[in-house]
Amino acid sequence: MATLRVRAGGALHLLAYDPDAGNSLRAILEPTDFRVRTACLGLGACGLCRVRVLAGEVGAPTAVERVQLEDALLAERVRLACQCRPVGEVEIEVLSLAPPSSWHVPPGGLASIGTLRWEADPAPSHAVPRPLGVAVDLGTSHISVALIDLIGARPLALRVGANPQRAHGADVMTRLVAAGDPDHARALASLARAAVGEALGEIARSEGIDLRRVRRVLVVGNTAMLSLLADRNHQRLLEPANWSLPIDCAPLETASWGREWGLAPEASIEVVAPLAGFVGSDLLAGVVAERMPELRTPGLLIDFGTNSEIALWSGDTLWVTATAGGPAFEASAGRDCIPAEAGAVVRVREGEGGALECDIIAGDEPRGLCGSGLVDLLACLLRQRRLGPRGRFSDGSERVEFEVNGRVLGLGWREVDALQRAKAAIGAGMKVLCGCAGVDPYALQRVLVAGLFGSHLDLDSAAAIGLLPRLPEGRVVLVGNTALAGACGLLLCADARRMLERVRACARFVNLGRMAAFDEAFLDQLFLQPMGSPP
Amino acid sequence: MNGPHSSGPSTEAAFQPLVDALLVGDHKLAAAVAQHLIEQGCSREQVVTDGLEHAMGLLDDKCTVESFNLLEIMLVGRAVSAVVRVLYPDGYAPTEGRATFVIATLEGDVHDLGKNIVRMVLAGKGFRVVDLGRDCPVDDLVGAAQREGAAAVLVSGLISPVVSQVRKLRPALRACGLAHVPVVAGGAALKQLRPEALDVDYVAENAFDGAHYLERHVSGAPTT
Repeated sequence: MATLRVRAGGALHLLAYDPDAGNSLRAILEPTDFRVRTACLGLGACGLCRVRVLAGEVGAPTAVERVQLEDALLAERVRLACQCRPVGEVEIEVLSLAPPSSWHVPPGGLASIGTLRWEADPAPSHAVPRPLGVAVDLGTSHISVALIDLIGARPLALRVGANPQRAHGADVMTRLVAAGDPDHARALASLARAAVGEALGEIARSEGIDLRRVRRVLVVGNTAMLSLLADRNHQRLLEPANWSLPIDCAPLETASWGREWGLAPEASIEVVAPLAGFVGSDLLAGVVAERMPELRTPGLLIDFGTNSEIALWSGDTLWVTATAGGPAFEASAGRDCIPAEAGAVVRVREGEGGALECDIIAGDEPRGLCGSGLVDLLACLLRQRRLGPRGRFSDGSERVEFEVNGRVLGLGWREVDALQRAKAAIGAGMKVLCGCAGVDPYALQRVLVAGLFGSHLDLDSAAAIGLLPRLPEGRVVLVGNTALAGACGLLLCADARRMLERVRACARFVNLGRMAAFDEAFLDQLFLQPMGSPP
Repeated sequence: MNGPHSSGPSTEAAFQPLVDALLVGDHKLAAAVAQHLIEQGCSREQVVTDGLEHAMGLLDDKCTVESFNLLEIMLVGRAVSAVVRVLYPDGYAPTEGRATFVIATLEGDVHDLGKNIVRMVLAGKGFRVVDLGRDCPVDDLVGAAQREGAAAVLVSGLISPVVSQVRKLRPALRACGLAHVPVVAGGAALKQLRPEALDVDYVAENAFDGAHYLERHVSGAPTT
């Protein structure tokens, strides 16, 4: 890793970056809070993303920079951030800061969508030139919006932001109960719609995209979020009898949504139907994204989230379930916990003399621990025997604290308890699902870990605390936001849509609440220790 | 407490390993120690009183269950169940426990950890608890109360949609001639509400609070 020193708005920030990744300055700055102003896709077309290179090597000016910047500016080492690729230690000044926005490029940029395993269908002859698609993953805590080139099968832009419905409750149940009042239900639907509109507006502005080129919008999400978006059938989700039944979340009209979002009248907007009460189309899209039905050996997909969903492909059946993973891994575990965004401690490791060392996402001012940082921290504390497998600190204290870049971060036993519960719910869910399918968890050839939290997870730490099974190298894979990748696949080609329907037909929902084996597995999984070890 | 029992230092010492095993949640050790005590000639009632009840009392003193994490509570619960199984391999007969309670998480709620803690505390205090599990229809609970001669009906609810089910309980009991059987509610969603709002006799703040109410009720002491 190398350090990029960034002067912006009168402050100096130190950013760790990987020079071998070959990213542009713009891409490196994008997940931070000191983004450079832009209005194109990073082709040098807008000329707005000006920075001054104060020290270090960023490559020679490109042809577009010579067009956009006068010689005098170039002589002062003013450059376009989208054209510069830093090598080694570099210092820059951001000359034009982007306005603050609640919509961010996630750390990892477009790569956090994961690999697109579907190609575009041949474009119909009547298509507009360069048609675009929009994939939306409507999550309980976060909303992700991707813009995709429908011909080139290439994602062009990605934004992630908080779901503003959070003001009506952090969890699904609270929001569903709130929606019992029709006025609240309308407000919740309108909040989600407005959020998608804002994300699209942000993309249009900062990437210079004309939203009238959008032909199709596809929304995937968990059942509760989709029913609240469409303002249909959400109250049915409060009755357990409906949890294993399909819930119709298709909106009654979408023309007004298109108008609100600034799309052309002919753009189609579709909500991908969920499978059942608590298994959403986000999970189904993930299964399609990873083409799980083509696996010849058993494979498991875990989509970590506020409501974690698990799918097990056994060769002919897709066993699916949902479990209250709790928002523990998505920043609600404690007062020093935040989502995986700028300023989050994403990695914790043991340094010299046992002191804890940390990596921070897109910045140098730690604001809190995100899920993967928490998992690392628990693993470190267990290894140092400062934390016991039952979730108590060995010295009897209520809380451990450590310092990162001058800020003290801490973790209390109640927060550890919340993480144990979340981990146990997911672990027990996996175990029960494997039991239903008759698959030994250690025989799984492929364990795919998806979700915002899943993209930063350290697999060793996850195995050490028993969040995931310890499998031979290469069998556990971090696959990014598969819900979004799947939605992109569904936008691109008919084969993906056919696979979705096949998946629906062979899916079997498992209600963990009705499984006696769940209780025992839950107790075993509460221990912070590798899966399968004796208590 | 139920009947005279010796509580001299020697007895306390004899039961200490059981109490310790229960409190650290070692179910195998707790069961083995209980078995050993029975083989040494201790009565089942003595094991309940000086072992289980004593351990529950200590838990109660340690500023209630809330100072424990979920795993610790579940481990104690498992250890209590293991000891009860040693003492009463076929469960408490209706005549053996101090009194019988029926307990359930009602239809609409599958979260039953809280209910399991209450069951553990009551079993530890020597009560016979008939557990109807989670997602239980009101009629099943009323039927069980009638069949088992329950001294009280206990319901737990974590999520608010279950409130409407709780309100159905009293009229259903009354319809079966069980108007005299008190209803105790607990759990995150239910304890937000007053007894009148739920149409129950008591809303317990936590498992021990509920157990204290039931002990007063069973002993005929004033409950308010």
